[in-house]
Amino acid sequence: MSYHFIILGTQDNPLFSYVLGTSKQGGDGQARFPPSAAHLNQFVLHSSLDIAEEVQWGTGHLYLKCIDKFFNNYISCFVTGSNTKFMLLHQPTQQGPGVTTRSSAAIGANPTSPQTEEAIRAFFQEVYESWVKTVMSPFYGLNKEIRSPVFRQKVAAAGRKYL
Amino acid sequence: MEKRSPSSSSPKHNPLNQLRNFIPISPEIAAPARAATSGDGSISQSVASLPFARPNPSAASLFASTLTPPGSRSMSPIGRGSPSRVIASSIFRNPIDSPSSTQPPPDSPAHILTGAFIPHIAVYASNDTDRLAADKGFPSGLWELLRPFGERIHGKVTIRDSNGISRSLDDFAVRFFRLGHHIEPPDPTPGVPTKPSSTLNGNVGQSAPGSSPARKAPWSKTVVHDAEAVIERHLTYAEQAAAGLGHLNSLVPQGPEQGTTSPYYSLYLRRLLSGIAASPHETFSHPVACIIVISSRNPDPIVTLRSLYAESSKGEAQLPPWIEQEYLRYYVLVHDEERDNIARSMSLYDQMKRHFGLHCHLLRLRGSQGAETDDDSIPLPRSDWMTASEELALLKRTDGGEDFEDPVRYIFESDATAIRTFTREMVTQSIIPTMERSVSVWNDQVASRRRGLGGRILNLSRRWGGFGGGASRSSMIGSSSSTSNYDQAGGFYKPEAAEATMRRLADYAFMLRDWKLAYSTYDLLRSDYSTDKAWKFHAAANEMAAISILMNPQSITSKTRTETVDQLLEAAFYSYQTRCMATYGAIRTVLLGMELLRLRGGSSIDDAVRWGVRLLEGKLMGPTGEVLLKERLSVCYGGKQGLTSQFIAGRRRKSALWSILAAESWLDQEKFLQAQRCLNDARKTYSLLPNESGISKFVAASDFLAGLQQRTKEGLARPKGDSFYERNDGVETDGSRDCVDDQEEDDGGSETESEEVEALQGQELELPHRSRRISLMGHSGAPAASLETAPLRGRKGGTQSDANNGTREPPASSIGNNFG
Repeated sequence: MSYHFIILGTQDNPLFSYVLGTSKQGGDGQARFPPSAAHLNQFVLHSSLDIAEEVQWGTGHLYLKCIDKFFNNYISCFVTGSNTKFMLLHQPTQQGPGVTTRSSAAIGANPTSPQTEEAIRAFFQEVYESWVKTVMSPFYGLNKEIRSPVFRQKVAAAGRKYL
Repeated sequence: MEKRSPSSSSPKHNPLNQLRNFIPISPEIAAPARAATSGDGSISQSVASLPFARPNPSAASLFASTLTPPGSRSMSPIGRGSPSRVIASSIFRNPIDSPSSTQPPPDSPAHILTGAFIPHIAVYASNDTDRLAADKGFPSGLWELLRPFGERIHGKVTIRDSNGISRSLDDFAVRFFRLGHHIEPPDPTPGVPTKPSSTLNGNVGQSAPGSSPARKAPWSKTVVHDAEAVIERHLTYAEQAAAGLGHLNSLVPQGPEQGTTSPYYSLYLRRLLSGIAASPHETFSHPVACIIVISSRNPDPIVTLRSLYAESSKGEAQLPPWIEQEYLRYYVLVHDEERDNIARSMSLYDQMKRHFGLHCHLLRLRGSQGAETDDDSIPLPRSDWMTASEELALLKRTDGGEDFEDPVRYIFESDATAIRTFTREMVTQSIIPTMERSVSVWNDQVASRRRGLGGRILNLSRRWGGFGGGASRSSMIGSSSSTSNYDQAGGFYKPEAAEATMRRLADYAFMLRDWKLAYSTYDLLRSDYSTDKAWKFHAAANEMAAISILMNPQSITSKTRTETVDQLLEAAFYSYQTRCMATYGAIRTVLLGMELLRLRGGSSIDDAVRWGVRLLEGKLMGPTGEVLLKERLSVCYGGKQGLTSQFIAGRRRKSALWSILAAESWLDQEKFLQAQRCLNDARKTYSLLPNESGISKFVAASDFLAGLQQRTKEGLARPKGDSFYERNDGVETDGSRDCVDDQEEDDGGSETESEEVEALQGQELELPHRSRRISLMGHSGAPAASLETAPLRGRKGGTQSDANNGTREPPASSIGNNFG
């Protein structure tokens, strides 16, 4: 399972981006995206905004769960009060010959299972807390890129913890 | 740039002259250009000396269907249109009402779908008729001459549905084909001894001497590949033509308005659906009727007719055993106006009517071939529904180069009128009434017994042979096949079985556009087929059930959609793909389902795209098909309207994403024009987003997009011949050349470009004056439109009371009686 986490401002502009792999079930925390994913993930996440903008008005929750699927990529979304969106693209590992049923019990095995949903919710929740603290900085303005290394570390820690 | 167009050899087609007609070129700019033309000899010489390969200009007409995308040339001042369309409209449409016709554009996928599943009419002609057709320039027989006329029956056609409500259709069509061709033998279930299939194949081989479909690869295996090969050739031609014309950017078809169909996609869909082979699991391609044709050259007409009938029902032309043999026979006498005496033909025709009843027609044709130069000859349009392999063969012939012969044939106006009247009379007075009657008879006798609770219980008890013996018999191997009508070894139902009859009922209802009846019958059949484990039948019934629900103009709720349509499509797709390895069926299911869901709008569009992605994931299509599908997904998403002015629930970003994916794939296949078009679409879509920044804030993505644009630009620039500029520099100065270029760009270069393309295509047919003349003469076809539409019921009672039922589906015995 590989993850691409992104925070999007209100103008479709990325504020923060972080790529990580699963740390559960003996994962090493390294993402295993194919080389083309560098741009493709951005296209996919951007296009999922269409769905997010539709879904966010139909629910009272901030966490929208898994909203979209593009081939093997699943996109979960979390909307904050300022309409900044957290989006997580998760891609289950393709069942190659070397990979046996090791990951069948892992979170990543079934991207739409309740366990995965819960894990991502916890991840989003933790990131949300750190994000709120970060954006309360008086030097931060709306839709500005988040460069804080502390925030990045916190996201990495949350990823290790829950994903 | 005007020098580079591979235009005609005659000076009057000089694009510069045309240019001057509608672009005010000041004399000092025009003068050097004219000098260039005269000093350089004719255009064609300069064109011929260009260093890169050039497509055969006379082949342009073959590619007319895609080279001028619909709608994009409407701005051209003269309004010439592509040759094929002008001809088609003048031959088939009443020129008075054609501009205000309200039917959907001929290339829309819904139109293609209704045009694909239409009654098939076999043509079985005597040898003398074939010779007559060959004299007229149709070496493969009369069906080739009839075929374009079947594609649009003149005037309105009235159909009664199962509830007795009449509807008039504008665009009814039938397909003519040679008896015994386009037959695909069933694939026997693996693991079952295939003893009977050898006799079956023997039958098939006999039935079609010359083509022997048993030895060839089955149609459904090759059609996907063939269709893609056709598109590939069209695309390559477009690239080459563009390379020859220069000014590439203006040649790129302007991004389609929302919802329009790419000409390549519609051609692909059309080729996939053309010439569907007759196979056991669906009866669309089984003959609804057979035309038995003799000509006035025949020395012994009645005997020939009898022997032709016998051959078609029992003899060497007999169809395989899974095709119903009791279809309508229609007898046609072709009268050769130039060689034979009309009085003799009339008396022969009267004799035919006495022997065979009402289903007769006297077709008066001129026996010689029409020439282009003749005053009263008109070009016969190519069939829109030629099969993929046919078109491929035609396109391959153009590779031959010099000895390529123009495939356009000319027929006399009087012949066209005669055939038009013939097809109309046959369809409205024989074919449709017969089909209506079959539908109502089968519906009463077979299908209605099965509807309702009682029918279901009856069916259960029939299958299991009563409640007592059921348990013990079901444990026996193959017990289900012993009680069912399904021939497991041969892979078909016998035509007299209830399942086969119901399938025919459903298909007839579908062809007559009685969607409700079709759906309810398909729905009954689905469970029968799955009980019999006849998976291909099961898949086909599911497919058509889904399509007939979606064709029904009633609105469907999203609940019905997820619970019914999706389930049906799923079952069809799974059965085709996994159980039967029938790639063609799977592709057809998804493409048709997707198109129809797309037309529903709203959330159905998401569903449509989901199915398209399923097809992409399945990797069932070749590279060209996949790109076309990606483009189509972009169009699907682009058609979704937002709910508010904020475009909430719109799908613009998604649409742009698919455009970019399509552009990438086009680039990989070196189809730069198409890539450019997709990129233009994507850029346009991104610019419509509320924040107008599009993807630009994403670094990697926008870099990638820029890279694509760069590659496209390089690709488009590459084929330009550099030596060309050097040659020209000697004649005209750089400054004046720039002036000409600037002038054109300012004044709408794309218009002049499109004009040149049309000049290129129009040259062989000399359209400007011809088209006007055709449309004037089209009036003579008008009386056909005022033919009585429903005289059948009147005729039925009066003139032919003795042969009332017998002649409509004449069994062999009644004919024997008549002769006796």
